[in-house]
Amino acid sequence: MAAISATDVELVYADGTRAVRGVSLEIPEGEFFGFLGANGAGKTTMIKTLVTLLRPTSGTITVNGYDVTDQPRAVRSSIGYMAQETSIDEELTARENIRFACDAYGVRSADRSERIDTLLDLVDLQEEADALAKSFSGGMKKRLDVATALVHQPPVVFLDEPTTGLDPEARNRLWDYFRTINDDGTTVFLTTQYLEEADQLCDRISVIRDGTIVADGSPAALKSAVGGDVIDITLAEPTPETIQRARATIDAIEETDLSVEPTESGIAVTASNAHALGPELITTLAESFEIAGFQTRSPTLDDVFLALTDESNDHGDTNSDARLDLEADQ
Amino acid sequence: MSTPPAGTRNRFVVDCWINLERWLRKTVRNPFVVVSSLLNPIIFLWLFTAVFGSVTGDALTSTLGGNVNYITYLVPAIVIQTALIAASSSGIGLVDDIESGMFEKVLVSPMRRSAVFLGKALSEVLRIVVQVTIVLGLGYVLLWADTGGAVGTYVATGWLGVVGIFFISICFAVWFTALSNLMALWTRDQESTIIGANLVQLPLLFVSSAFLPLAVLPGWIQTVARFNPVTYGVDAVRALMLGQDLLTVLSINWFGGVWNTLVPALGVLIGLDLVLGGIAVWSLNRATSADVE
Repeated sequence: MAAISATDVELVYADGTRAVRGVSLEIPEGEFFGFLGANGAGKTTMIKTLVTLLRPTSGTITVNGYDVTDQPRAVRSSIGYMAQETSIDEELTARENIRFACDAYGVRSADRSERIDTLLDLVDLQEEADALAKSFSGGMKKRLDVATALVHQPPVVFLDEPTTGLDPEARNRLWDYFRTINDDGTTVFLTTQYLEEADQLCDRISVIRDGTIVADGSPAALKSAVGGDVIDITLAEPTPETIQRARATIDAIEETDLSVEPTESGIAVTASNAHALGPELITTLAESFEIAGFQTRSPTLDDVFLALTDESNDHGDTNSDARLDLEADQ
Repeated sequence: MSTPPAGTRNRFVVDCWINLERWLRKTVRNPFVVVSSLLNPIIFLWLFTAVFGSVTGDALTSTLGGNVNYITYLVPAIVIQTALIAASSSGIGLVDDIESGMFEKVLVSPMRRSAVFLGKALSEVLRIVVQVTIVLGLGYVLLWADTGGAVGTYVATGWLGVVGIFFISICFAVWFTALSNLMALWTRDQESTIIGANLVQLPLLFVSSAFLPLAVLPGWIQTVARFNPVTYGVDAVRALMLGQDLLTVLSINWFGGVWNTLVPALGVLIGLDLVLGGIAVWSLNRATSADVE
């Protein structure tokens, strides 16, 4: 049985905004699933629909085998959810926050103290356990929030942009917790706009744009879909005008398997034979531009996202034709 | 996989207790709020009796007969004012929860929504009991000072009457607590909720029997006061304080003595409680994240 199964889910807000437009998902038990998209793409709306905080306008969703519309309480008992905004009671201590969550999820009182201590250990808050949460840093509050989502050892955990706004150290710590619970068999559904995060953590990724899934597959498959490695070229004078002319120069090169994107400091060229092509490109460009530097690298998910966004733009309205299905590549 | 909890009555009580405990903890941790929300009622009690105490004698004698001290007359109004303020701060707690994300956390948990609401309301009931005790005590001290120690009878109906005063205060608070939480849910904004509560507070008190007998007030106030829940709350508490039937907006004489005030007044208040409480619980049961964004 799939941990999460969604079929043709639509969500239209009262003001007519169509935030989710026909999303279908099938997430097997134990998977670390990434839901990737920019701000406003529909990630949060989708996750809130999955956790029963919003009612789907149409379509069906089951989580752990329970229907979100007909059996919301059963769904709620069987999931952990961490909202995008840190949700803790700052007038309570760390221990009291976790204890409240234990009680809310019906953790038996015989198990409660031990559970609270285990979670305080997991999120490294044992020493601050009895301090009021309002004295905590943003990262500590987030860690406490993670702990409260795990009190009932749910088989499925939903994390809505859990690391947004955190410093790298705090982020890495959270990543470790997420890996730990996933290793223990918990299915994780994570939304993020950090492509590196999805790459680091997820077994499988779906990319959402304008409420529609535009790509899904493993991080590796997504990367190979971009079409090879990337050459970042830094121009000495990266004005919009020189960048535009540099793009045109590259486009004029007779090479079918090549694409070029503007960057802040110049251009980025993606090609399957980037390493071989590099010197030729630089030589051609150097005839008309002063080049400050260049480097060849593997594509990041940023590039994947850019390529997908371009793809959908080229097709006009996003529809199923624009969707990149990468399962076959794996 | 965890099994869904059985929908037992026991679980409802537990959910209720969890939320009561959380709100009590927050209240005890911030005693300043409990004290500062008493300032207004205390100032009213002290200044009103000082300013009007000497000129209200005739009005009280003509409507109530005998020799009623204005302090004794005013204490019921201050009791109801205290309940009103406590109830109106209930919505502020809900807005706090909406802003901190705790509201959503509660919504996504398997707790029964009505138990969540009831637990929170019970914490406010306890707060009202504490505050009303303080107001009653303070009224006694003022009366003691005013009469040079010869207080005589403070609450005419005795200790049972005092229990009744608590009961009436709670019945009075429930409908306004529900309204305050509905306002919080609709506006989702701390300022609007506070301003809304403060805006209705003073008119409700003044256009009622709170500060003077209705008979000596202008005709339009007498008319409006008939539809003002404060009138029923104040008259019921006052009936217990003075030991007489003094509900003038409804003339019902089926029960005898004080009960001619208590039964209809409590009928009105409990009716309001059921209607507004029902709407509040219904709204919270239906609440989704779309309501709080």
